[in-house]
Amino acid sequence: MSNTIFDWKKDRSMFPEPDKDGKPVVELDSQKYIKVWQGPNHPGVTGNMALELTISGDEVMEAKTHVGYLHRGFEKLFERRRYMQCFPTSIRMCVPEPDINEYNLSRGTELLSGIEVPEMAGWLRMIALEMARLQVLLRTVPGQGGTIGLGLPAQWGLYYRELILDRFEELTGGRIYHMYILPGGVRGLLPDGFKKRLEDNLVKIEAFMKEVDRVVYSNAVFKKRTKGIGVVPPEWIDQYGATGPVARAAGYKRDVRKDYPYLYYDRLDFDYNVEHESDVFARFHVRRKDVDTTIDLLRQIMAKMPEKGELRAETPNVLHWKIPRGETLVRCESSRGEYLFYMVADGSIYPRRINLRGPSYTHGVVLLEKLLVNANISDVSSIMVSLATCPPEIER
Amino acid sequence: MNEIIEHIKKRFPVYEIGEGPNGVILMSVEASRLVPMLTSLKTNHGYSILVILSTVDWLEDCKFQLTYIVNNPEEKRDLGIRVFIQREDAEMESIHTLWEHAATFQREIKEMFGINFPGSPGVDDQFLLEGWDNKPPMRRDFDTKKYAEETFFPRPGRETNDPAAYMKQKLYPDE
Amino acid sequence: MSLKDIFSPFTAWGKAFEKPVTIKDPIAERPGADRYRGFHKNDISTCIGCGTCETICENEAIDLVPVEGIETKDGDSGLRPRVDYGRCCWCALCVDVCTTGSLSLTNTYTWVEEDPEAYRFTPGVDEKPWDKEEKGWKKPEPGYEFYNLNRVTMEHLEPEERDDTFIEMVKGFSKEQAEKEADRCVECGICTATCPAHMGIPEYIKAIRNDDLEEGLRILYDTNPLPEICGRICTHKCETVCTLGHRGEALSIRWLKRYIADQNPSEKYKKILNSEFIEKNGKKVAIIGSGPSGLSTAHYLALMGYECTIFEKLSKAGGMMRFGIPEYRLPYDQIDKDISYIESLGVKIKYNTQVGVDITLDELGKKYDAVFAGTGLHMGRSTRIEGTDHKNVYQAIDLLRKITLGEEVPLTEHIVVIGGGNVAMDITRSLARLQKQKYGKVGIITTSLETEDKMPADREEVIETREEGAVVNPGWAPQYIEIENDKIKGLHVAQCYSLFDEEGKFNPQCNLDNLQFFEGNMVVESIGQGMDLSYLTEDLKHDLEIDRRGRIKVNEYFQSGIPWLFIGGDIIQGPDVIHGIANGHKAARGIDEFLFEEKKDTPKP
Repeated sequence: MSNTIFDWKKDRSMFPEPDKDGKPVVELDSQKYIKVWQGPNHPGVTGNMALELTISGDEVMEAKTHVGYLHRGFEKLFERRRYMQCFPTSIRMCVPEPDINEYNLSRGTELLSGIEVPEMAGWLRMIALEMARLQVLLRTVPGQGGTIGLGLPAQWGLYYRELILDRFEELTGGRIYHMYILPGGVRGLLPDGFKKRLEDNLVKIEAFMKEVDRVVYSNAVFKKRTKGIGVVPPEWIDQYGATGPVARAAGYKRDVRKDYPYLYYDRLDFDYNVEHESDVFARFHVRRKDVDTTIDLLRQIMAKMPEKGELRAETPNVLHWKIPRGETLVRCESSRGEYLFYMVADGSIYPRRINLRGPSYTHGVVLLEKLLVNANISDVSSIMVSLATCPPEIER
Repeated sequence: MNEIIEHIKKRFPVYEIGEGPNGVILMSVEASRLVPMLTSLKTNHGYSILVILSTVDWLEDCKFQLTYIVNNPEEKRDLGIRVFIQREDAEMESIHTLWEHAATFQREIKEMFGINFPGSPGVDDQFLLEGWDNKPPMRRDFDTKKYAEETFFPRPGRETNDPAAYMKQKLYPDE
Repeated sequence: MSLKDIFSPFTAWGKAFEKPVTIKDPIAERPGADRYRGFHKNDISTCIGCGTCETICENEAIDLVPVEGIETKDGDSGLRPRVDYGRCCWCALCVDVCTTGSLSLTNTYTWVEEDPEAYRFTPGVDEKPWDKEEKGWKKPEPGYEFYNLNRVTMEHLEPEERDDTFIEMVKGFSKEQAEKEADRCVECGICTATCPAHMGIPEYIKAIRNDDLEEGLRILYDTNPLPEICGRICTHKCETVCTLGHRGEALSIRWLKRYIADQNPSEKYKKILNSEFIEKNGKKVAIIGSGPSGLSTAHYLALMGYECTIFEKLSKAGGMMRFGIPEYRLPYDQIDKDISYIESLGVKIKYNTQVGVDITLDELGKKYDAVFAGTGLHMGRSTRIEGTDHKNVYQAIDLLRKITLGEEVPLTEHIVVIGGGNVAMDITRSLARLQKQKYGKVGIITTSLETEDKMPADREEVIETREEGAVVNPGWAPQYIEIENDKIKGLHVAQCYSLFDEEGKFNPQCNLDNLQFFEGNMVVESIGQGMDLSYLTEDLKHDLEIDRRGRIKVNEYFQSGIPWLFIGGDIIQGPDVIHGIANGHKAARGIDEFLFEEKKDTPKP
């Protein structure tokens, strides 16, 4: 898309010459540059993360990601926690969408000790995971508008997110940290009338998404500010291990739920949401379609899940649950892409190593640093949010 | 899958080949043969994604285990390759030339475990721990609890009792 | 981009006419959901302070603190959990793991206080506004347990397989079974205080989990030198207080102990227990009676270097364990295994030597530095009803002794047993087996004063007795034995409706309108045993303090009024193996202190 009104990129004479690698030679003493810190506390960054930007005029010459403002050493803390004690800690590795941590950790523990979860628990896990995805998307989809000044839909989105949190409170006893999925199963059946209330919420959310379509999606300003911005070349996807909406927006059919089916996703009917432009708008568009898919999935799950069943498989006594030496890989699809745990057991009651690899690990560091070069400073937060970086997942 | 394993077996001295509980094939290889092996997997066998580069500290064996998990998106398969290196002055060849974002993993491992990856861009830059002057914290011999007790002050007034010991003290102190 | 894209955002103005979703301040109270994980609540009368919540807490937010007004007693540590809300993350694992189900979370979630110390409180003790709140997180039901509440079933010989044989009926755990059962333990240690010998129960169960049975054996011998025996017939008081018993079945602690002892071969005992070389200290101790208390004393004294000699009246050692307990419950080779290890420590046993007849107590006192008497209760008590002087009325304990010694046991086709304790069950089941062998059928009826629910015998004993074909008909007071032509015809009984009077004294009351007649040609009495202290001469008795009920007074180390004479076991504490063992252990310490008063640095057991 050509930018006819402010074609500021045409005249490059004011900008420093790039060297033979195409990188600008930044001499701060030349006074052509300013260092700007965006974050760690800034409404335009996701979470507590800082971008060290070197700008010339309003163009970013160089960007560096700084994390570490949250580091609480969860992976280290796991080393001195029993397998059962890990899951309340793990959820803090991704605050907006904690359930994926619980799921991966529980699944890994079960795989390593050879436990099969009852069917009912599997379906309940899917409900929790999809509800978690929905509540994140209700923040990020309208929130994408917020990054360019369309703050109002972002505020509305929070209300509809609260509706899902109400359902979480009912189901799990917690609003943000659900601590619902635990090794062996889940911690509660659906309360009476839950399906009806969730369905009511889904109807409201569908109506709300129509509003988002009108106010954000078909908004001239939004389109102008997001189309052609932050383009991720498709060949970068594999090279940098980008996943989720970022990969799907670049035309790749990548979705852990379909590629490596877990739980009962193979019994559900859904498709990849793919776009091809690979810019901020395309990523937003993929997420927008993800909302519809998630709502549809929730309905399918509620229709297909059994009415009754066991909550939890029989496990060894959780106080001395020893797991024989072994290692495994567990992955699930988060709202941001592939979320993966690498777990090593050493035969004791404590895990030897639990290593998280979330999508932000590349999205937020390598990919972001690359995409921000030559970006307009006003697009920085837009690009960042479109990559959905989540710093706790980088620093763990 | 077996074809690739057979192929790798012919070309590289791999050992401890086994299938993890999730169907992930894991194998070990000598550190010196890792980079040629990963190159071959990436260029010839379609293992184009580096999923994770993880470290496990086997303190009791004086070894670090580096696990490289690569993924073939076409066949939807993972392959895990383990490399064991000495814990003393640990050093490993960098793979940032194969995957640029490996530099991030290597930078973190350098900081958290103290394993050096010479030539990896920014490997000496601090990643998370600004102003850290203790031993690399993810090593098993770094005791988090001891560190916390030395660095921070505990909240006063906390005391606890072991039920068995307390009952002995109350009911049969002399026996 | 189209014109629509320019105008459609203006539809946002439509929101201006909608009702706001936010709530006006002040916010009306909004209760948490039914399952909300809010503030802690603890039913302190149910809580036993086992500390499992503290163990599972991943944030170390829970401390166990003594609470005023809650006494430390058997099965209750007297401690209660205190929660530090500076650390709690409300994961509710403490609720889910709670062994008694006393902990829960309420759905209250607002609490404002200026004093930070207030946020560290003991739920249930420190009064809080939400204490009455019913809603909130509770352990999900059913099928959601963090440990198995059900015992691993112990395999028994089926009634038809066992009713004519004295082969041990309890088969013992296999490795898988033992490890599965050991896995249930929550390691609270509440049981240790209740065990008379204060055995390290959680520790040896942990050894089973770690498959380190040698370590397990060492832990057993720390406090109990008769693990094979105790592993079979201990009265397992520990299991009555087991914290798992509150919501499920108590841990099979006794069978786990037996498993450790069974799995260690006797030839390796000395090596495992590191008792191959013991330095003698030159002192000599005489022990009267080779029952549990005597053997226990001998064991611990021998380990300390004393030269111990046991004087045993009968031809075999073991006392009541061998002569009172039938072989199907405690096989003789297992008794031999425990005793031979004690003998291997240098303990000598003089058989067929009755103190008071073959050698006097005075002589022992002179020849040895100290004497321990654990002579037990071997004289059967009689009901003294009419007819008990008939030759076909026997004492259970005498018959049991005859069975063990292989002597001929008097037997008829119909037998009546009087008594409701374990000994009554033992003699019933033994005689039933003999009847089955001799006549091919069982014809035995057991009656007791106590009603079914108050019978002192273990519940499983009663059930098994019935399984083997004997009739147990409790709640009857024996009136007289009908004798015709010098032959016993049977026992007349009357319904017994009360055992104790208002002052708590034993005073059975009968309803003479409700009579019953139990047919039988032989009557066995099993209503308790008395002690035979004939070896105490009048001179010695003069120096002893004997209370009104005929019990000898001893100090806490079982030292009697005569300094060199220590007395323990059943004659002091009543019939119980594990008490005998505990007495013996303590008496050994007492003897050691008595003989080495000056040398305080002597190694203690």
